[in-house]
Amino acid sequence: MHRRKFLGLSLKTSALLALAACGKSSTATPTTGISITGPTATPNPSQPPSSPSPSPTTVPSASPTVSVVSTPIATQVSGAATPSVLGVLRWANTGISEPSSIDPANPKDAQSILIINLVFSGLVKLNEKLEVVPDAAESWKVSKDGTVYTFKLRTGLKYADGSECTAEDFAYAINRALTPTTQSFAAPFQLQDILGAKDVASGKAKEAKGVRVIDKQTLEITLERPIAYFLDLMTFPYSFAAPRKLVESGKDWTNKAFGTGPFRIKEWKHNQSMTLEPNPYYWQGKPQINIQMPFIQNSETAYQLYQTGQLDITGGGQDGIPAQEIPNVKGKPDYKEVPALAVRYIGFNNKLKPFDDVHVRRAFAFATDRNTLAEKVLGGTVHATDRILPQGIPGSDLPVKGLEYDPDKAKQELKLAGIDPSSINVTLAYGQEGDNERVVEALQSMWQTNLGVKVNLQPMELGTFSKNLDVTRENPTKGLQFYLSIWGADYPDPQNFLSQQLQTESPNNNGHWSNKKFDELTEKADIMSASSQFKERLRLYNQAEQIAINEVGWLPLYNPLVTALIRPSVKGLVLTGQGIMAPDWSKVTV
Amino acid sequence: MGSFIARRLLSALFVLFSLTFITFMVGHLAPGDPILILMGPHQDPTTYARLRHEYGLDKPLWAQYLSYIWGLLHGDLGLSYRYEGRSVWDLIKSGVPVSFRVGGLGLVLGLMIGIPLGVIAAIKHNSVVDRSIVFLTLAFYAVPSFVLIPIAWEIIRFMNSAGLPTLPVAGWGTWQHYVLPVVILAAANIGYITRLTRNSMLEVLTQDYVRTARSKGLPRRLVIWRHAFRNAMLPLVTVIGPSVAFLITGAFVVENLLNVPGIAFLTVQSIQQRDYAVIQGTTILLGVAVVIMNLLTDMAYMILDPRIRVS
Repeated sequence: MHRRKFLGLSLKTSALLALAACGKSSTATPTTGISITGPTATPNPSQPPSSPSPSPTTVPSASPTVSVVSTPIATQVSGAATPSVLGVLRWANTGISEPSSIDPANPKDAQSILIINLVFSGLVKLNEKLEVVPDAAESWKVSKDGTVYTFKLRTGLKYADGSECTAEDFAYAINRALTPTTQSFAAPFQLQDILGAKDVASGKAKEAKGVRVIDKQTLEITLERPIAYFLDLMTFPYSFAAPRKLVESGKDWTNKAFGTGPFRIKEWKHNQSMTLEPNPYYWQGKPQINIQMPFIQNSETAYQLYQTGQLDITGGGQDGIPAQEIPNVKGKPDYKEVPALAVRYIGFNNKLKPFDDVHVRRAFAFATDRNTLAEKVLGGTVHATDRILPQGIPGSDLPVKGLEYDPDKAKQELKLAGIDPSSINVTLAYGQEGDNERVVEALQSMWQTNLGVKVNLQPMELGTFSKNLDVTRENPTKGLQFYLSIWGADYPDPQNFLSQQLQTESPNNNGHWSNKKFDELTEKADIMSASSQFKERLRLYNQAEQIAINEVGWLPLYNPLVTALIRPSVKGLVLTGQGIMAPDWSKVTV
Repeated sequence: MGSFIARRLLSALFVLFSLTFITFMVGHLAPGDPILILMGPHQDPTTYARLRHEYGLDKPLWAQYLSYIWGLLHGDLGLSYRYEGRSVWDLIKSGVPVSFRVGGLGLVLGLMIGIPLGVIAAIKHNSVVDRSIVFLTLAFYAVPSFVLIPIAWEIIRFMNSAGLPTLPVAGWGTWQHYVLPVVILAAANIGYITRLTRNSMLEVLTQDYVRTARSKGLPRRLVIWRHAFRNAMLPLVTVIGPSVAFLITGAFVVENLLNVPGIAFLTVQSIQQRDYAVIQGTTILLGVAVVIMNLLTDMAYMILDPRIRVS
């Protein structure tokens, strides 16, 4: 496992890249990768949650895409009789003056990934509920032991120039992303679980053993070990197909990039904007719009452009609507917000007194008024939560019982602990960024008032704070007593929050919380790769989450928000914690 | 004058050399690692080591510095870490003309308004006109652009909602996009130039030769414009020279808030990303510009003022 620093906002890969990229605004909107389908814009085709298929191994395309999958591609292309003048969607790409690289093998920020997702496509993608659904592959099978994935590509799959895209193209994409000369910053990590990936990444091999082309339409990927979230990883750009001829045509091939995604680049004015036109061969049907995408460094600038009618969409990424403007737009039909796939929480050092006692941790949890924190202290710019999984992560729709604010219960818990409150004198550490100061001061006053304990605050520069978390992990008795931290999803799967953060042996379990039953449940769920087991898997995580809540593995506080302004005339887009998505690009209109 | 220029060139070389050294060291010693930033939180040690090697960051600092200087001597500013496969010069060159045009227009507008205002204020010394001019221009000079811009935005949005013809609030591409950044930049320039012109004029107007010119019956207009004004312009030259240099690196706040794709736009992002090569590139660009403009200023001075030539 990798060791991760989760300081500011960690986020999912893409996001995280971005995040890292954005030294500045760490707090407001975490880039968190993935998240939630919000109660927002377009109504998604209301489908029942994807039901497990009767056959254990074949994955039926989940929900909304099903109908599309069954439509033969041919009719769609021919059916692409579109109005001669296409509408233009003016969509701000905020927080950058220029995307770093739109090579799917090596994106370096979330803003580039936004473009990559419009131009290229992978075998699978996330739908607006953040479930994995078919994309270039129309179906796939997983072997019983969860290590072999066999993807079946769509018949007649084509690049935007009309040339064929086959299993060979995807194998090439994966090997290219791993090859040292590609200099990808994240692909060797993202694809590390594929058998032989490490050999390619280290230059020992040209092709990964685990990637096999069976025939034109069939690609087999073998993993080193079963990982249930492998398909989530395949929704990231690193394995997206790009035409080999184009890629090898020269260093600046991305200037006119095209792939198997819904759009292709028509014009890229560096440091200014990009124009995207429809891919006539897109398997879901040719989109009916062009996209005009200016690069805007400052989110306030983008907001002003939107308000003066120069844009149709702003926000939706890590640079959302500026916090100071939210009160001006909240409640208006074009304002959308969803919780990000990130949680700000209090972590306790379970190896130090007094937080080695579950009753003390529970006392602090019951003494925490999250609603006041979210609504009054932070003015509604965050979403209060008492659970670990952010809304939108699969499994977050299964209910858990949180430890709701209750000062009386809080005092009782302290009694159960048998500790005199006035003898408790603890120090809360936090990194100095964003709203943290206000948050810890509010918490300090809640705990002191409700529990009669003494709480000290210890601000730290972010890097120092991160180092202290490492110390807490390596050498708990010398570490922090308790701390305010944040975790953002790398991929939308409960494993990323529960197993990775709270399993006894996980390198990310800084607080040394440990629960046998929790470990059993999550370890079992972590390797349940077959889609037929998906529901059961989520159920196990749900039980585990309840344990971690009851025993206060973390004390969750709130999810940051992903915010956007989308003109009501724009139809077919959905804001998710992962950003703005279209269930079907061919149906998006302006 | 020849030996003077030679001496200045020599010292300029030294200045530039020191500049590269300081920029390089400060950049590399500052916390933050471009590879880590680009890799994100996933610090896979093998990939990290490989990338550091490929970007030459595993070499000792002095070796990195020498190879940087070697490249520089060959006109190579290096490659950006962030923008794949693009050289620093490639990134900078599109921004230079943009910053130069916006900044240049801002300066010209500032001069066109500031100089007459300063002269008028000086002539009407201590009158209501003088005081109003001083007050207004001081206000313009004192209010930073990050305050002026939101005010301008409010005005534009008000006009927009009232259905009146307006300007774009930000962006680039048409002549309308020039208006806001140029006016904002000119506002600060006007304040500065007006005050400078006024003070300089006031000083000159008390000089003996001005009194002499007046007493021999020359028309007031002639005394002011031919005798006083010319000499009062000397300090302005010192100011304009370096200002022109700074035009190239652009106005950080204006370019970033108004989304003008100039040099500053790029620099801010590069600093955040620790894109060393680009930071060094823009710093050296500024350094060269300042050195050249200072040299030109000195030369202009010598031409304008024979006394300097003698000393």
